Amino acid sequence: MTLINCMTLTGPAPVGFRDSIIRVFCTMVLLAAAFQSLASERPVTTVYIAGSGNPALDQHITGLLAGQLGESVSLIPIDDDQLPTIIDNPVVTIGAAATTRVHNTNPAISVLALFAETTFINDLAEKFPGQISGIPYDVPLLRQALTGKAILPQATRIALLATEATAGNYDQLLKELPAYGMEARVFLVESSNDLIPTLVRALGYGDFLLAAPDTEIYNSRTIKHILLTAYRRNMIVIGPTQAYVKAGSLASSYTPFPAMAELAARFLKSYFTDGRFPAPAYPDHYGVVTNNQVARSLNIPLPDRDDIGKMVQKVLSAHKGEG
Amino acid sequence: MSALRYWKSVRFQTLSPLGVGCLFAAASVAPAGADQLSPVDPYAILGLTQEQMELPEVLTTTRLRQSKLRVPGTTTIITGDMIRKLGIMNLVEVFRLVPGMVVSEVGSNNPVTTYHGTVHYEQRRLQVQIDGRTAYRAGLSDMDWIAMPVALENIERIEISRGPNSAADGINAFLGSINIITRSPQDTAGLEAYAAAGSRGHLRTFTSAGGASADASWRLSYEKRKSSGADRQTVEDQNPPSHDGHDINNVNYDSTLRVGDRHSMTIRAGVVDGVDEEDHLTSGLAGSATNPDIMIRDYYLQARFEGTTSASHFYHIQASYQQQRRTQEWTISIPASAVSDLLPPGLPPFPTDQGPLVADINANSREVRQEFEFQDTLLFSPDLKLVSGLAYRRDSFESETYFNGREGNYQSRVFGNLEYSPAHWLTLNAGANWETTTTTRSGHFSPRVASNFIINDNHALRLVFSKAVRTPSVFEQSPDWSYRPKNIPAPFTILEGQRVLVADMAADSRRPTTYGQNLDEERITSREISYFGQFHLNQALLKMEVRYFHDDLRDMVSGIISEDEWTIDNNVALDQQGFEIETSLDFSGTTLRATYAYLDQDGRYTGDPDSLELRDQNYFVELLSRLSVQHSGSLSWIQDLPRGFSTATSFYWDDEFSKSAFKRADLRIARRVDMSNYSYEIAFTLQHYLSLEPWTSDDNIIDHENQFFVEAGIRF
Repeated sequence: MTLINCMTLTGPAPVGFRDSIIRVFCTMVLLAAAFQSLASERPVTTVYIAGSGNPALDQHITGLLAGQLGESVSLIPIDDDQLPTIIDNPVVTIGAAATTRVHNTNPAISVLALFAETTFINDLAEKFPGQISGIPYDVPLLRQALTGKAILPQATRIALLATEATAGNYDQLLKELPAYGMEARVFLVESSNDLIPTLVRALGYGDFLLAAPDTEIYNSRTIKHILLTAYRRNMIVIGPTQAYVKAGSLASSYTPFPAMAELAARFLKSYFTDGRFPAPAYPDHYGVVTNNQVARSLNIPLPDRDDIGKMVQKVLSAHKGEG
Repeated sequence: MSALRYWKSVRFQTLSPLGVGCLFAAASVAPAGADQLSPVDPYAILGLTQEQMELPEVLTTTRLRQSKLRVPGTTTIITGDMIRKLGIMNLVEVFRLVPGMVVSEVGSNNPVTTYHGTVHYEQRRLQVQIDGRTAYRAGLSDMDWIAMPVALENIERIEISRGPNSAADGINAFLGSINIITRSPQDTAGLEAYAAAGSRGHLRTFTSAGGASADASWRLSYEKRKSSGADRQTVEDQNPPSHDGHDINNVNYDSTLRVGDRHSMTIRAGVVDGVDEEDHLTSGLAGSATNPDIMIRDYYLQARFEGTTSASHFYHIQASYQQQRRTQEWTISIPASAVSDLLPPGLPPFPTDQGPLVADINANSREVRQEFEFQDTLLFSPDLKLVSGLAYRRDSFESETYFNGREGNYQSRVFGNLEYSPAHWLTLNAGANWETTTTTRSGHFSPRVASNFIINDNHALRLVFSKAVRTPSVFEQSPDWSYRPKNIPAPFTILEGQRVLVADMAADSRRPTTYGQNLDEERITSREISYFGQFHLNQALLKMEVRYFHDDLRDMVSGIISEDEWTIDNNVALDQQGFEIETSLDFSGTTLRATYAYLDQDGRYTGDPDSLELRDQNYFVELLSRLSVQHSGSLSWIQDLPRGFSTATSFYWDDEFSKSAFKRADLRIARRVDMSNYSYEIAFTLQHYLSLEPWTSDDNIIDHENQFFVEAGIRF
C-alpha cells in the first residue's frame, strides 16, 4: 500500500533528456526512499495466542515463539469473546482445552495446537487438514520405550495399561518394538476398580511399565497408587511426562519448550507462505528427565540423562538408516 | 522372568501400610492435572537412608529396619516369588532353602523343621510368627505346620534370623526366629484362582478376591490343602498303607486403612478348619482301634495400629486373639488282663473271656492366646536409632487330658535395641529382652551385642554375642495328664469316666520318671562371626553371606514324653559350632542360589549320673541330635525362557538324619501367558527322590522316586 502511494505521488514525466535524467534519478531516489520506508514501517503479521490459563506458561511459550519469529510477527493474546472476529490470522493454542475452545467458538480459524497430545491433534488435523495442525506435547511412545531400554538394557518386555478406548493408540508401538528387540502387551483396564488388579498383572509381565498420556488411567487421582504399587514390586515406571517423573516415575523423555517453539515457528512461517499448516509433527530434539531419588531407592544405576537421550537417538537413527 | 531381577534382587523391602501412606504423603496430587504433581523424596519420606534402600533389608532381627551391613546377625530372606517359582508345594518345605535348617516328618507324617537340629518330636526352640503374631504353640511346645493359617500365595517373604533372637522376639527364639510376612492386600487386588494336584493325593486350591483404593485395601482368600501323606508305614517288619494325610481349609481376611497421612490400621482375621489324619498304628495309645484323627478348628483376629509423629518417630500397637482347638477322639481296645491293674484294690480282676476293654478316649485341647505389643522407634540421627517396646502374652489351655481342666501362662516383657554408628565403617548394636513368665516364676534376661565393620558400603564383617533362654512349656512343666475312658460296656463299666493317670503309667517305666519335677530354663550362649558382601559384576549381582558360629547350650531338656514314660529333665549340654554359606547370583533372566551348612555338635549328659544307665545317658544325648545334620544345603536355578516359559531346578540334601540322607531334585517347567484381561500360568513339577530309604522315620515311606504335580493359576 505504501509503495503504490509513492508511485502515484510522482506524477507524469517531463519530455527533455536532462529532465529525463533528473526524473529517473528522482524516481530512483523516491523508490529507494519508498523501499526504505517499507523496510522500516513494514506491517506486522498478527498471530493470536489462546492461552492455557496458566499465565507463567503462556508467557513463557509466547516469549519463545517471539524469539523464533522475530519482530515481523506480533503475538497477541486473545480472549474468547474476540474469537468470532478473527478471519485470516492463525491462532496458537496452548493446551487441548484452549484448542477445543477456539475451534468450537470459530470453526473457521486456523489453529496451531501446542501442549496437546498426539491423538488429540491428529484427530483434528485429519478432519481439518491444513487448517488445524500442532506440535504434540507427548513423546512418541517408541522413544519412551527406548528410554526405558536405555536405562534397563536387558529389558525386553514392556507392560502397557490402556482402556478399551485407548488400546488402539498402542498398535503402532506394538508393531515397531520387535525391530528393537522388545515386545509389549496391553493390559486393559475396564473400570477404575479394575486399575490395580490389572496393574498387578501388568507388573508381573513387563520389565517396566510404560506410562502413556492416557488421562483415564494416569491422572492425579491414580498416579500415587500406581507408582506405589510399582514400587512395592520393585518395578520402574517410564513416562509419561516430566510432571510424573517429579511425582515418582523413574524417567521420561520430554519435548523441550525451545524445540517445540522452533518447530511451531516453522509451521507458522509455512502458513504465512502457503496459507495452510503442515501436518502435525514431532520436534527433532527431545530431552530426558530422571528421578534420581527413585533410581537410588530401586537401586538402579542411572546413566546421565543426556547420555540416555543420545542412546535413544542413536538407536532411532540406526534404524532409520536401515530403513 | 524379568530383566529387573538383577536390580530387584538387591532390595527386599516390604512397605508397611504406614510407610505406604507416608511414601506419597508429600505427593499431594493437585486436581488440576499431572503438571502439578508434587515431587517425592522416597528417602526422606520413608525415613530411610540411601544405604537402606540399596541393600537387602531385614526387619526381624532387631525390629529396626536395617540393611544387612548393619544388622546384628545373619538373616535369610526367602521371597514369596521364589517360593512360587521353585514350585514348593507346602510351607514347611520352604525352609530347605535356609542354611542350617532341616525339614522332616515324624510320627504320622507330621512335618517338623528346625535350625541346628535337636529333637525331632515337639520342635520347641524356634519362635515362629506370622505378621508378628505368634504361631508357636506354647502350651504343648510344638509347631503345627499342617494347620498354619497362611497360604503360599499370600506370602510376601519369610525372614529367618539364624541364631538366638530372644533379644527381639522373646524366650522362644532360642535357636532362631521365623517371621512370615504376608503380602499387602494393596498388591493383590483383583481375582485369583489356583489349583495344584499331584502325587500322594496332593491337592491345593487357592482363591482370592480383593480390592484397593488409595486409602484402603482388603483381601479375602480361601485355600484348601490336602494330601494323603506317606504311602506306607512300618509295623513289625510289615509296610501297610498309612493313614496320615490331611485336609485343611484356610480362610484369611486382610485389610488396611490409612487414617490421614500419619496413621494406618490393619485388621487380619482367619479360620483354619480340617482334619489331620493320624494312623492308629503309629499314633495314639497302645491298643488304639480307630485312627486318632485330629479335627482342627483354629481362628485368629489381629489388629495393628501404626502411627508416626515425625519422620524420625514411629510406633505401633498390636493386639491379637487366637484360638486353637484340637478334637482328637478315638477308640481303644485293650485285653482285659491288661486293665485289671486299673481296678481299685480288693476288686477281682476283669474276666478274660468276655472280650477286650473297648472305650472311647480323647486328647482334646483348646488353646487361647492373647497378645499385646507396643513398639516405639526413635531415629535420633542417621547414626543413632532406638527401638523399644513392651509385650504381654497370655496363653490359656483347656484340656481334660493334658491339664485335667485349665492351665495357663502369663508372659510379659520389655525389649529394646540401640543401633549406634560412631563411624561410617562401624555400627554397634546392643539389644536385650527382659521377660517374666509364670512357667518358671522368674525373669529371664536375653542380651545381644554386635559390632559390624563395614567395608566400602558393600561388605560387612559382624561379630555377634548373644544369650537366650527357652523356658519349658506349661505341659513340660506342669502336666496333669490322664485319660478318661468313656462309653465302656460291661463288664468294664466300673472304669467309666475314671482318670487313668499317665503319672502312674510312667512310674512303671524302666527309666525313673521325672513326672512332676520342676524344670529350669534352657540357656544358650552364642558367638557369631559373619560376613555379608555383594559384588556388582558386569551384568550380574553376586551376594554372599557366611556365618561361623560357636554355641554353648546348657540345661537342655531331653528325655521322653509319652504315656508310658516321662523322663524329661535338664540333663544335656551341647557344644556346637560350624559355618554356613548362602550365596546367590542374579542377572537378567537367571537366578542361581546355593546354600551349605556344616554343623559339628557335641553333647554330653549332665544329669544325675546315678539316675540313668550309661546307655540311657547316651540315648538322651542322642535324642537331642535327631534332627542335627552335619552337612546340608540346597541349589536352585531359576531361568526365564522365551514365550513366557520358565524353568526352576533345585536340589536339596541333608547328610544325614538318624537313618539316612535326604536328597531330592525338583524340576518345574512353567508357562505364563498374559492376555489383555487376564493372565494365567500352567506348570509341571517333578520331585525326584534320589533315595527312598526313610531318613527320619520308618513310618513315612514313599513308594516312588518320582512325584508329579501339575499347577494352573489365573488372575484377573
